[in-house]
Amino acid sequence: MITVSNEGPKFVIADVTITEANLSNSDQFKAELVSLLDQHKKIIILDLQELKYVDSAFLGALVSALKYAISLKLDIVLVGLRNDIRDLIKLIRLDKVFKIYNYAEEAQFAVNKF
Amino acid sequence: MSSPNAKRVLLVDDNPLFLKIISHAFTKSGFEIASCASASEAIDYLNLNIPDAILSDYEMPEMNGIEFRKVLMNHADFKDIPFVFLSYITDKDLMAEGLDLAAVDYVVKETPVNVIVSKIGNLIDTVQKQRELSVLEIKKAALALNIRTVPKVAPAVEGYDVDFWHQAYQDVPGGDFIDFIEVDERYSYIVLGDVMGKKWVAWFFTFSFLSYIRAAIRFGIMNGDFSTAEILQKVNSVICYDDALKDILSTMSLIMIDKQEKVVSYSGAGDLPALHYHAETGAMEQVDSSGLLLGLFPDGGYTEERITLKPGDQLYIFTDGLIDYEDNGEKKSDYNLFKSKLSNMIAEGLNFKQIRQNLLQNLSPSLVDDCSIINIHKH
Repeated sequence: MITVSNEGPKFVIADVTITEANLSNSDQFKAELVSLLDQHKKIIILDLQELKYVDSAFLGALVSALKYAISLKLDIVLVGLRNDIRDLIKLIRLDKVFKIYNYAEEAQFAVNKF
Repeated sequence: MSSPNAKRVLLVDDNPLFLKIISHAFTKSGFEIASCASASEAIDYLNLNIPDAILSDYEMPEMNGIEFRKVLMNHADFKDIPFVFLSYITDKDLMAEGLDLAAVDYVVKETPVNVIVSKIGNLIDTVQKQRELSVLEIKKAALALNIRTVPKVAPAVEGYDVDFWHQAYQDVPGGDFIDFIEVDERYSYIVLGDVMGKKWVAWFFTFSFLSYIRAAIRFGIMNGDFSTAEILQKVNSVICYDDALKDILSTMSLIMIDKQEKVVSYSGAGDLPALHYHAETGAMEQVDSSGLLLGLFPDGGYTEERITLKPGDQLYIFTDGLIDYEDNGEKKSDYNLFKSKLSNMIAEGLNFKQIRQNLLQNLSPSLVDDCSIINIHKH
């Protein structure tokens, strides 16, 4: 459910290919994200533009993958969020823990300056 | 035609003719069928769908049936899907190898198609019955131990009407938890949270959470500290440093009612903002708090909002299942839509009991989450 579409010296751009992220696929989503971090040892720019719906189990998986990234001194950056998902993330204050950009290009530019 | 409750079977075979014949037979019997021409195609399918059973050929180019089964066995989400091998070969060693890999059964391809169909149907029925029984057993055990994550009744708090509604996903206890703690004549606490993650695991951890919260509140009071923000910070510290709870995250809304000062304090940990209905103006105000999810970082940045409820005012806290809805078969979440729906129901003069009924009737049919809401109404 995650495919790598681009890679730079500091980052990997990973596209999420599912449209609905919930309890039934959140464990696998986390496992794929963790293995990407292990494999590449780079900041992950996660493109969520295909995603139309998320539930709390998915957000939990995303946050626990972020905790893992931080433990490796890496990061997970979110791009391509639909307005309603971005609103939900803001409502529960996850915008304080994830760096969020509109587009992958914007995130790449920012990541290169980290 | 398949119904929404149709049994879903994944067929994997490199022989297109056989796939066609057997798909037809299953579909005719009311099954929903997905057919894949190779094991790798089947794995792609499984990444997006979980069928009730898998029927796979043994002899296939690239990855054969045994190798396919081995891949599934290494995957937590796939290893428990009933798996049946299909083959022309009546090789006893091969059968033994397949059964070693916890394949539930072995079917020879020469078996009449209708026999294969009813065999798979029976297998799915048996597995489902077993699962229902296990759920029933755990429910019985939980009941016997008198452990629950949601109280039976709302407390009587002088000067206020407190009520709640909780709907478990498919009636299986999930991650939502509610608690009411009556400290003394002056202070009452109201707790609402959602442990994020797998149903049964989440349900199990809610008990640990509830113990921590109860302990933190009691210790706070013993030391003369009643602050909701402090209590959240204490619970968060314990969770962050407890290895057993390492990967568990939870939202929490914590409310304290001070009956003497007639003030309500609210602190949130990654929860949806509370809603304050002003009886005088009819306005519905969003009450934000700034704390992060419990278990995320050792410093959760919890703050405390002091809310004065005037006579007739109402305060609502709720979990995220409530803001989900369906639009043209597409699932969506919209906090503001829920806010305006709730506002309209109050404006129409509905009481909480009626609001509850209304919410239940309008729940999304494909609800995949728990729903909980607590209402505090000032007399």
